[in-house]
Amino acid sequence: MSVRVGVPQGLLHFQYGTVLERFLSELGAEVVLSGETSRHTLDCGSVLDEMCLPAKVFFGHACCLRDKVDYLFLPRIVSIRQGQYTCPKIIGMPDVLRNNVGQLPPIIDTNIDMRQKSRQLYHAIVTVGQLLGCSVATSLYAWFRAWQYRARIQPVECAYDGRPRLALIGHPYIIYDRQVSLGTLEKLKKLGMHVFTPEMVEFEEINRAAARLEKKLFWSNSHTIAGAAMALMAGKRPLSGIIFMTCFACGPDAMVGELIRQQASYLNIPCMQLSLDEHTAEAGLVTRLEAFTDMVKRRKNTCL
Amino acid sequence: MLVTFPHMGTLSIVLKTLFTQLGCQVLVPPPITKHTLELGIRVSPETVCLPFKLTLGNFIEALEQGADTIITCGGVGPCRLGYYGVIQQGILQQLGYQFRMITVEPNLIEAYRQLKVVAPHTSWRQIYKAFQLAGAKMNLLDDISCEVNQLRAVESVRGSVNKLWEQAVQDIDLAESCQELKVLRAELLQKLQAVTVVQVVQPLRIAIVGEIYVMLEPFVNQNIERCLGDMGIEVSKTLLLSDYVKGQLLKRKSYLELYQRLEAMAEPYLGHSVGGHGLKSIAYTILKKQQGYDGIIQVYPFACMPEVVAKNILPKVSQDIDMPVLTLAYDEQTGEAGIRTRLEAFIDLLKYRQTKLLGI
Repeated sequence: MSVRVGVPQGLLHFQYGTVLERFLSELGAEVVLSGETSRHTLDCGSVLDEMCLPAKVFFGHACCLRDKVDYLFLPRIVSIRQGQYTCPKIIGMPDVLRNNVGQLPPIIDTNIDMRQKSRQLYHAIVTVGQLLGCSVATSLYAWFRAWQYRARIQPVECAYDGRPRLALIGHPYIIYDRQVSLGTLEKLKKLGMHVFTPEMVEFEEINRAAARLEKKLFWSNSHTIAGAAMALMAGKRPLSGIIFMTCFACGPDAMVGELIRQQASYLNIPCMQLSLDEHTAEAGLVTRLEAFTDMVKRRKNTCL
Repeated sequence: MLVTFPHMGTLSIVLKTLFTQLGCQVLVPPPITKHTLELGIRVSPETVCLPFKLTLGNFIEALEQGADTIITCGGVGPCRLGYYGVIQQGILQQLGYQFRMITVEPNLIEAYRQLKVVAPHTSWRQIYKAFQLAGAKMNLLDDISCEVNQLRAVESVRGSVNKLWEQAVQDIDLAESCQELKVLRAELLQKLQAVTVVQVVQPLRIAIVGEIYVMLEPFVNQNIERCLGDMGIEVSKTLLLSDYVKGQLLKRKSYLELYQRLEAMAEPYLGHSVGGHGLKSIAYTILKKQQGYDGIIQVYPFACMPEVVAKNILPKVSQDIDMPVLTLAYDEQTGEAGIRTRLEAFIDLLKYRQTKLLGI
């Protein structure tokens, strides 16, 4: 029987999950996913104090997996790009889990730290492979195969259809987690908005826009978010509005939110900051989204 | 050019000396008050950490008084401090202030270029002398504060050590040469020795770990060391300005060795640095247990990323090594009475533990 390896579906899983899952199964492991976030996940995660919601969600996912697997796959992702970090909470996650939950299966917490050298990634790949009993060549080949499955960027410049163009900016693990974001993305689409997310912006464009910042952001996700927001705001077609979605107690977002607010007010684009936590009620969120979209539509009509 | 900088405990004395010696005109921001905090809060993002709001308040007050050059520090992450400068500059510009902001990054060549901007006509000799004097003041202040924090617990007349400390700060501020400081050091140490003390069997000893700004700025931590000292507790702060400068900036060998030891100590609980002082909070908890301290107080600004990680790990450390830990998060809402009550409760617990251990 193959080894069962649990992969919690939280935090960076939304960005690199498909590749990592594929990698593990290429190595011959049986990948056990924790499933979509539920009320139960949130309850499990609530033991953490003062953490941001996505960290609690991730914690909950890992807890749910603990009895079902032989290994928990929680690589310590310190950095995914040179000169940048992920975030202190992501870096400390394996330790927080280990020190708060008893009877855990062995954790695979290999460091992935590409801050100095991107070659370090291969070292991590080989280490994980060895743990699962694979040779160096097998591990590298597995990674090569898995890399083909990385997320493709959806092109941003689709035909202009007259709907107000709205940017929904935030971490992928907030926007795409339906329990955390309470389906904001779908709600906005239903309200007649043409929604853009940071994932729809080309990487080069993000880098170009982020280069205009006075100082390079040293959190990779924030770099992407801020860059994408600035690229969208400065794009050829004007943006009707921008919604910045964040979770309470997210450190980098407190800074990036201010950056985006400054830029939006400079360009005269309406900007709303939505702060979420586990107590967010759906009705309150819907009211705010409706009010904002109404305002955007009216503004667009008066401008024409 | 009128230079200003943020407050952090006795940092202003050191920086004032440094920039005056470099030939700049210096404007020390008014001491932090409720008003400073209110100014900062009004224009800061809501969930940013407290030091951001307070330093921004400092800048506004200094700019109002006519300063035109702000000197602040940068960083490479992942702590938010490294990005303070850019955001604060944006906010101040939107408020309509005219100024130049110099963010000192940990990069020697860049720092040298900035030094030349601040002090264009200063010779190497003068620069060396300026840094030497500022460094000497910093060392003396920290050394005296360590003595004071221990002595306060056993003074026979409450408040006598505090008076001495305040006088010492003034004297050190006024000193103009290293020679003068040397004499002052001997004098101060003598005065401290002359303080009458009561005989206590074994005063409780508490180490403070956590984030440096909260640890050093008495306005934020509500003078925690004084408060504890008055209750008869010996206090040791695990981070002082001189430690930060010698360890993090100058990378002295002795400090690097210490940090390596600390990292090894924290390894079973936290396997990688999480920025700021998160790892040290955990390591010092273990180290201070070995040194025979009775309790740990962790202080940090609310929502500080590295310390929140440490906070979620500390309960396990505390349980494993049998060391009581009290965690205090400070924000603009922190009330005085609330903190005091928690401190008193913690001290009661420590006293009870001590009597049980000593079998009195």
